[in-house]
Amino acid sequence: MHKTETRNFDIRQLTRVEGEGRLALEVRDGRVVKAQLEIFEAPRYFERLVVGRTPDEVIDIVSRICGICPVAYQMSAVHAFEDLFEVAIDPQVRALRRLFYCGEWIESHALHIYLLHAPDFLGYPSAIELAAEAPAVVERGLRLKRLGNRIVALLGGRAIHPVSVRVGGFSRAPRPAELSEIRKALPAAIADAAETVRWATSLPTPASDRRPRLVALQSPDEYPMNHGRIVSSDGLDLRVSDWRDAFHEEQVPWSNALQARAADGTPYLVGPVARLALNRERLHPLAAEELTATGLGDELWTNVFRSIVGRSVELLHALAEAADLIDAYRPPEVPAIHWLPRPGVAAWATEAPRGLLFHRYVVGEDGLIEDAQIVPPTSQNQAAIEHDLVDFAPSVVDLPRAEAAVRIEQLIRSYDPCISCATHFLDLSVEDR
Amino acid sequence: MGADGAASRPRAGVVKLASCDGCQLTLLDLEDELLPITERFELIEFPEATSRRSEGPFDVLLVEGSVSTAEQAEEIVRLRAQTRLLVTIGACAWSGGIQAMRNWADEPSWRASVYPTPDYISSLATSTPVAEHVRVDAELRGCPIDPGQLLELLTALRTGRRPQLPDEAVCLECKRRGTVCVLVARGAPCLGPVTQTGCGAICPAYARACYACFGPREQANVGSLHDWLAAERAPSDVDRLFAGFTAWSEPYREPAGRAGALARERALAREQTDA
Amino acid sequence: MVSITPTPLQLLRRGDLAILIGLLRDDGYTVIGPTVRESAIVLDEIRSLADLPAGWTDEQAPGTYRLVPNGTDRLFDYTVGPASPKRFTLPPRVPLATARRGADGTASFEPASPQTPRLAFLGLRACEIAAIQVQDRVLEEGPFVDADYRARRDGSLIIAVQCTRAGATCFCGSMGTGPEVTSGHDLVLTEVGDGFLVASGSPEGTRLLDRLPLAAASEAVVADAAQAVVATRRATQGQVAVTGLRDRLLDQLDSTKWAEIADRCLACTNCTMVCPTCFCTSVSLASDLDGRETVMTRQWDSCFSAGFAKVAGGNFRPRRQDRYRQWLTHKFATWHDQFGTSGCVGCGRCITWCPVGIDVRQELAAIAPPYAPEVVPVAPVAASPDAYSVGTIRATNRETADTVTLAIAPGEERFLATEPGQFVMVELPAFPPLPISVSRVADGALHLTIRSAGPATAALTTLQPGSQVGLRGPLGHGWPIERAVGRDLVIVCGGIGLAPLRPVVDAVLRDRARFGEVLVAFGARTPGDRLYSGEAESWRAGSIEVDQIVDRAGPEWTGQVGVVTQLLDRRDWHERSAVAFVCGPERMMQATVSALRTAGITRRHIFVSIERHMECGIGLCGHCQMGSVFICKDGPVFAVADLGDTFGREGI
Repeated sequence: MHKTETRNFDIRQLTRVEGEGRLALEVRDGRVVKAQLEIFEAPRYFERLVVGRTPDEVIDIVSRICGICPVAYQMSAVHAFEDLFEVAIDPQVRALRRLFYCGEWIESHALHIYLLHAPDFLGYPSAIELAAEAPAVVERGLRLKRLGNRIVALLGGRAIHPVSVRVGGFSRAPRPAELSEIRKALPAAIADAAETVRWATSLPTPASDRRPRLVALQSPDEYPMNHGRIVSSDGLDLRVSDWRDAFHEEQVPWSNALQARAADGTPYLVGPVARLALNRERLHPLAAEELTATGLGDELWTNVFRSIVGRSVELLHALAEAADLIDAYRPPEVPAIHWLPRPGVAAWATEAPRGLLFHRYVVGEDGLIEDAQIVPPTSQNQAAIEHDLVDFAPSVVDLPRAEAAVRIEQLIRSYDPCISCATHFLDLSVEDR
Repeated sequence: MGADGAASRPRAGVVKLASCDGCQLTLLDLEDELLPITERFELIEFPEATSRRSEGPFDVLLVEGSVSTAEQAEEIVRLRAQTRLLVTIGACAWSGGIQAMRNWADEPSWRASVYPTPDYISSLATSTPVAEHVRVDAELRGCPIDPGQLLELLTALRTGRRPQLPDEAVCLECKRRGTVCVLVARGAPCLGPVTQTGCGAICPAYARACYACFGPREQANVGSLHDWLAAERAPSDVDRLFAGFTAWSEPYREPAGRAGALARERALAREQTDA
Repeated sequence: MVSITPTPLQLLRRGDLAILIGLLRDDGYTVIGPTVRESAIVLDEIRSLADLPAGWTDEQAPGTYRLVPNGTDRLFDYTVGPASPKRFTLPPRVPLATARRGADGTASFEPASPQTPRLAFLGLRACEIAAIQVQDRVLEEGPFVDADYRARRDGSLIIAVQCTRAGATCFCGSMGTGPEVTSGHDLVLTEVGDGFLVASGSPEGTRLLDRLPLAAASEAVVADAAQAVVATRRATQGQVAVTGLRDRLLDQLDSTKWAEIADRCLACTNCTMVCPTCFCTSVSLASDLDGRETVMTRQWDSCFSAGFAKVAGGNFRPRRQDRYRQWLTHKFATWHDQFGTSGCVGCGRCITWCPVGIDVRQELAAIAPPYAPEVVPVAPVAASPDAYSVGTIRATNRETADTVTLAIAPGEERFLATEPGQFVMVELPAFPPLPISVSRVADGALHLTIRSAGPATAALTTLQPGSQVGLRGPLGHGWPIERAVGRDLVIVCGGIGLAPLRPVVDAVLRDRARFGEVLVAFGARTPGDRLYSGEAESWRAGSIEVDQIVDRAGPEWTGQVGVVTQLLDRRDWHERSAVAFVCGPERMMQATVSALRTAGITRRHIFVSIERHMECGIGLCGHCQMGSVFICKDGPVFAVADLGDTFGREGI
């Protein structure tokens, strides 16, 4: 019989993710039997804050769930309401919304790839140290991030918590001339993004092998952002508003964040890798080309650490699509059409940079919100993360603690978890029993 | 003596309480200035951006987020003791944020409606500004803060001048920009006249009303604007305008409180009819 | 200003305005004119006729502006929008200079040289041109000139439009600035059915006209247009009582009404931003992280903003009411002192664009209403010293040991129109004539209260009913009781000084409700020297506070002992509007004025009655001069502020 031995990792808080959490591993007889992501990010009760508000007020409020992906929250909310109120937005507005989302994907993916994740692969505590050794690399990332922010700021007024999204459209639509500066910057950015794919592929990447259930939106003729059906790698296919038929939220005692699971209680994965796996044929040709050139094949979805490549491919896709959207843009007749509220259930899902984001609102007779449910992508990934950690942890638990922590954090960061969204993230303690 | 051996740079930290991360991100969004900033300030603690950790001491500490749990209330006191210049960044840290609407609600019932097992969650009944717990040396307002104002603050720290953070109404900036007043010309319920500038008057430039994410300016005459807006809409709708991202700050607190109380009443009534 | 011989008005067809626009652009001008944007008519660059707001009319009211289509092709059927020409002549942001600071401590300054376009304004109204002329005075005609403003004004062209329609917030006619365009323009257009009547206002204008296809205008069209402009003027007149507005406003610096406006005012600066004459600016700095290079920019600022009057130790205008008062008194009063005109041109923008609809026309009427017409003194009887009118003593009353009141039935009724504070010259044959204030007019008699101080006054105090005296008067200007209407009235007197003030008390009692709190504070040497002591009770019964003090008294006196200024020690009129009338020995008056000022009444609102040696009483003998005034004909009552520093100066 082994004597029980408790080993404590003293990492309080996972860094280079957005939010606050801890990871507790229970090791028994040398086996990791339990991994618990402890979320201690303080809950802010957004699902209650929106009760009693109008749909347009909700859009402003839910934006504040996340400072990195505010557009995603605004998009899931506004499409939910437009679906319930039967508001048919102008096709140019639809295109503007895609351009808006492209901007956010660009900003968010560039932020994650260069500032949050890449340092792990190269052994740096942050991009600041990486910049000292390879300034051109970090500057490339910052350039890309800046362009994404500029797109969001032009359409939305500012990059973080944009102000112009309204039910029915935008409060203001840009004039084509205003888009020209951004259009001029895109070719160089596309080249930078292609280089990013190659560079990400060349990074020294740990091995891992797992086959999670992948879930994403799927659309017949576009790479999914605001529209599509929810599909999975194992055959699910449902309308976005029916998310609750296939998934549900659970609470676990160690987490301030609810965890979403499939109806049968099993984990699943959302995010760029899931989207790529389920929508590869609808990638922009430039992105598809670079994806093929990586030569990664299936490893893209079976090695969790390759998510940085998947994210880079989407970065390139978003830039390429932004150029096409700008070229085709003509200002709509009116930036937003008139609408009237209707009572009922407004439910929708869109693809945030980190994955599927589901919103559901109950609208009352007076046009005000009576109930709300918001399921961020990270809470949908949480169960999968814990599952993968149980698989991965044995390979590092015997290493010096500091190095083990770095490896585990690198794994967790591969999911690009957005903790303030899911009200969480990470501190590491390991208990040996 | 700093790590680089030269004249030491100020030790800077960026920490977060209950918030969305947007204000910290504003620092990372200063793409052109980010590396020069890291050359001039030694970032010893910034969990979002670096694995380098430190418990202090800090020459300057940027704090994002409101105090929302007992742990945070203790942590901010500990941080204050380690900090020469504590700067709150953003509406959450400065005024409690949108989540301060729970200060008028029955927090246990909110917890119960969001979490199936509310006992697993530890949270304070209130979300309060940092200044209600510790002394604050400077503040940047906004939801999120304005990148230009952040840069101005850092420049002020370097040069020694008082940061230019004008306490003016948003109207001043709208008029400089040439934006047509959405309140007068469209009847939009704009709070700009009682809101502190800093954002560059974005919302009216994007043809919508200001919703006061920078909070009330000096001597904000909320009563007068409330009366005017209430001539064309229900007073409770006007109250709700103030129940936003800076609801807890004076003098927005009064109409925001009415909105909070009304929401609570309605929720109770609904629970009773559902029951 | 070259004078232009008026030429018969000619007609430019509406479509041909495009030619004018083209000519101006070809000549290198940036044409600035009205265009629709964001639900309003703003000023912006005009490239073609299509940019102009055809078929739009604005409906303006306090706090509201709406554009409505009018179904015509007319181009100028609206008044003014939120933007004024100052957007282009005094732009919201102008780079001033770049300041550099070297690591070695050296400094250098490089002035910015912003491009100043050649501006041609199309469609400016008379009020806007008047505003430009006001700003010209402010920015170009003082000892220092704003170089950027001058560069923009030099060579700028103005094509004006005469308004044929008044908006609800327009009051140019009241301010005397429009709608007729009479100066400052190069061309002036008046829109008619087919186009525009045009006239030149300058040689440049004439040169432009020569390049345009013009037709003769029919008399009927010209007459209709003139009538429309006149009707527009009439609609904008009579909305502000402009005459004496400066003085009336400055009189009201202590009014309690400022606090009332401050309850509604948001101090949001919108009024000053849209005002075409407001010119206040501040400098903002933008530096790199190390402060090595700083761009200094001049930007619009406003006296309403918090930091405007702030210094390191505090803020000189901390309250909203302080700032509103600053703005209103600057715009309508002190602007006259600074620049020789009113600062307001009556465009009405501050009314429309105030988010809570504060209407400056109403506020002026509430804060500084025209005074009730001052009573014009009746022409005196027997003014000249060679003629006296005879009055008969009807009754006498001994007031104190040395003071007697004579009730005199005058020979002429006109004496009974004596106003409180006026005096008569009294001549007892064989004695020198004396000026005596009238202490009451009642029952057909003038009451004169006389203290025996010398042989002439002694003789008067011994006269018996039936005796007669010569009278000339009433003379001088009395107490301005109308200035006390609606305010507190403070009457302070010493000894015989109560005599000329008793008629004021009589007048107040006749119409008590018109006044605020009324105080009579008087001092005498001894209790026995108190005048009219029997009347104090009836004054108190009439809600007048009576406070008495004596220099010295015996044990039977239970009242206050000391000097009359002590009665003012604990009084405070700082937050109240008050007027004071003071009469007594000169040193007493000087001390009293000092005490009243300490207690919060300004010199504009303190009035004194001065005594000097008088002979003729009509300003022809030269005796009673004090500094710039003659006590007999300019006084004897004066506002202390009007006496400059002669009052209280020894030897004047």
